[in-house]
Amino acid sequence: MRNPFQSIRWRLQAWHGLFLLVVIAGFCYMAYQLAWNNQSRRIARNVFEAERHLFHPLFEAARPEGADEDAPVSSSMLLERLRAHQIELPPETLLRFESTESGFAYFVLYDTDGSVLMQSPNLPPDMAPLPNDGDDYDEDMRTIDNRREMARYNAKGVSSIVGRDITPEKDDLHRLGLSLAASGLGVWIVGLLGGWWLAGRALKPIHTISQTATRIAEGNLTERIDTAGNNELHQLARVLNDTFEQLHAAFERQRRFTADASHELRTPVTILLAETERILKRERKAAEYQEALTTCRESATRMRNLIQALLLLSRQESAPPQRESCDLAKVVGEAVAQLEPLAREREVHLQTDLPHLACQADPAALSILASNLVANGIQYNRPGGSVAVSLQQRNGSAVLTVQDDGPGIPQEDLPHIFDRFYRADKARTGTSGHTGLGLAIVKTIVENHQGTLAAESPDGAGARFVVSLPVEPTPQEPV
Amino acid sequence: MRLLIIEDDPALLRSLAASLREENYAVDTAMDGEEGLYKAQNTAYNGIILDVLMPKLNGWEVLARLRPQNRTPVLMLTALDATPDRVRGLDQGADDYLPKPFDLDELLARLRALIRRSMGQVHNLIQLGDLQLDTAARRVEREGQEVSLTAREYSLLEYLALRRGQVVSRAELYEHLFDEDDDSLSNLLDVHVSNLRKKLGHDLIATRRGHGYSIP
Repeated sequence: MRNPFQSIRWRLQAWHGLFLLVVIAGFCYMAYQLAWNNQSRRIARNVFEAERHLFHPLFEAARPEGADEDAPVSSSMLLERLRAHQIELPPETLLRFESTESGFAYFVLYDTDGSVLMQSPNLPPDMAPLPNDGDDYDEDMRTIDNRREMARYNAKGVSSIVGRDITPEKDDLHRLGLSLAASGLGVWIVGLLGGWWLAGRALKPIHTISQTATRIAEGNLTERIDTAGNNELHQLARVLNDTFEQLHAAFERQRRFTADASHELRTPVTILLAETERILKRERKAAEYQEALTTCRESATRMRNLIQALLLLSRQESAPPQRESCDLAKVVGEAVAQLEPLAREREVHLQTDLPHLACQADPAALSILASNLVANGIQYNRPGGSVAVSLQQRNGSAVLTVQDDGPGIPQEDLPHIFDRFYRADKARTGTSGHTGLGLAIVKTIVENHQGTLAAESPDGAGARFVVSLPVEPTPQEPV
Repeated sequence: MRLLIIEDDPALLRSLAASLREENYAVDTAMDGEEGLYKAQNTAYNGIILDVLMPKLNGWEVLARLRPQNRTPVLMLTALDATPDRVRGLDQGADDYLPKPFDLDELLARLRALIRRSMGQVHNLIQLGDLQLDTAARRVEREGQEVSLTAREYSLLEYLALRRGQVVSRAELYEHLFDEDDDSLSNLLDVHVSNLRKKLGHDLIATRRGHGYSIP
């Protein structure tokens, strides 16, 4: 908006102004032309009338004496009589051609050699007969300066020019032109103002939207655009609001994640600091140092596990899975084998049913997935319990099921167990390697593979996690 | 002085309790908000250290249910260190707010200040005739000479000194000087009082038979 001429409102205004100007100018020009045509026709009628008033008495006077009143009089007869100066115009006719006031009528009659036979006293100077261009007869209605006149040429008779002064009509037209221009300008300005107002009105919702968006950009993420209404801009506003909603949710998730992660990291740091400060306050027995160092090591291990889990999670989130042909049974089997020592320590029995199952997937990610699910099953189990891991191919999907027979998951916790840092048992086990991210990582990996993940826990019958991954057709090796 | 720590992280709870016991506080612990609230409502503590993010009841909820009836000084200890969180804690009735990770010495100093204020003291030194108690260093001096006291003897003297002029019942002394796990026999209190009289003079602590002890 810094350069006002780049704003939509100014551009609209400029185009609107230009368009309006063309329309108004065209309209005025047509009105002017119409008026001019009207005037011309009226003037022509006047000229013809003047001709009639002149020639009627002339031909009457040229009629031979005693001839029949209806006998035609030829132009050559009139010419002869005029040459002989035998014709006088009646006074009322002369009166008509005497005036020199604006709008006066005049005439001049020429002989065949171009010499003047008769003229009105008010004849303007520099009059010339119509030149001979070979025809016997010729006529021309013409406008010269402030005169409009009918010039007739007759090779064998009288040539004539009858015309009138058109100063008043020209003045009228001039005035009309001025008033048309003035009112056109007025209309144009009113139109410009109206256009400016209309453009402003049409752009106001956009202004509101941009202001709201600015406030959101400044950090007020809960702000929304008013979408009451159903025009195009309201639809745009709704689309924007949806986008803001998603951004806000993503931002909120990120904020909570950061807060949670920092909280989870702060606790072990606090323990490290508090414990070392306490122990260094005075001399201690060796056993006390040992105990404190054990606590410190546990805290450090906790931090390491958390950092590893955070890195793993962010890597899974940011990078698409590196798909390659792999045998799911092998991947899951290796992950389970690595957890055998932990299972033995917890006195949990691991059962596997892993038939060969080829698929296109990221083996490293799937290994983490299986490992996290099985570790979770071992963790939330009782001594003497078991964790069953099985693979199946079902409807074009590879289905991995991890079932434990521990205490299970309370129904109210089920929807949240895949949330980051959510712990169903609510008690921090602190040193047991729990980061609260294991199942969140599982969820991210499954989503990366476009699979589905479900957790169920019938009352007291342990927990069952079912991962279903679409199996992409493995390229068949030529037989 | 008897304190309650409500903190859900077992390692931190253990470490904090050990630190405070080494400073001669009687320390009770609670692993979650519910347990903490129960203990806080049923024992007269001199101070409560309260974590915010905890299972069952979080720190805000514990504080809300504790106030306004209970006036025990509360120091909130939490990983939430944004200004709005601090303001919220203080506005809801916490007396102090310390973000994790904290400095142990700072925590101890803040606790001393909280307890001192709640007892109406303004600084660390208490004058009792020719005796001077330094509650920060936990020392007693007579005319510039340090008098050697056991931790229990010092705690008893400090508590009576802070309640100077009032009669403090044996029950109150037991409540404030021994924690829940302490199974010292009741007559040990008499032993400590008699030792204090031997070291500091017979007139220092008066016995009100049937009521308790006082420093006049």
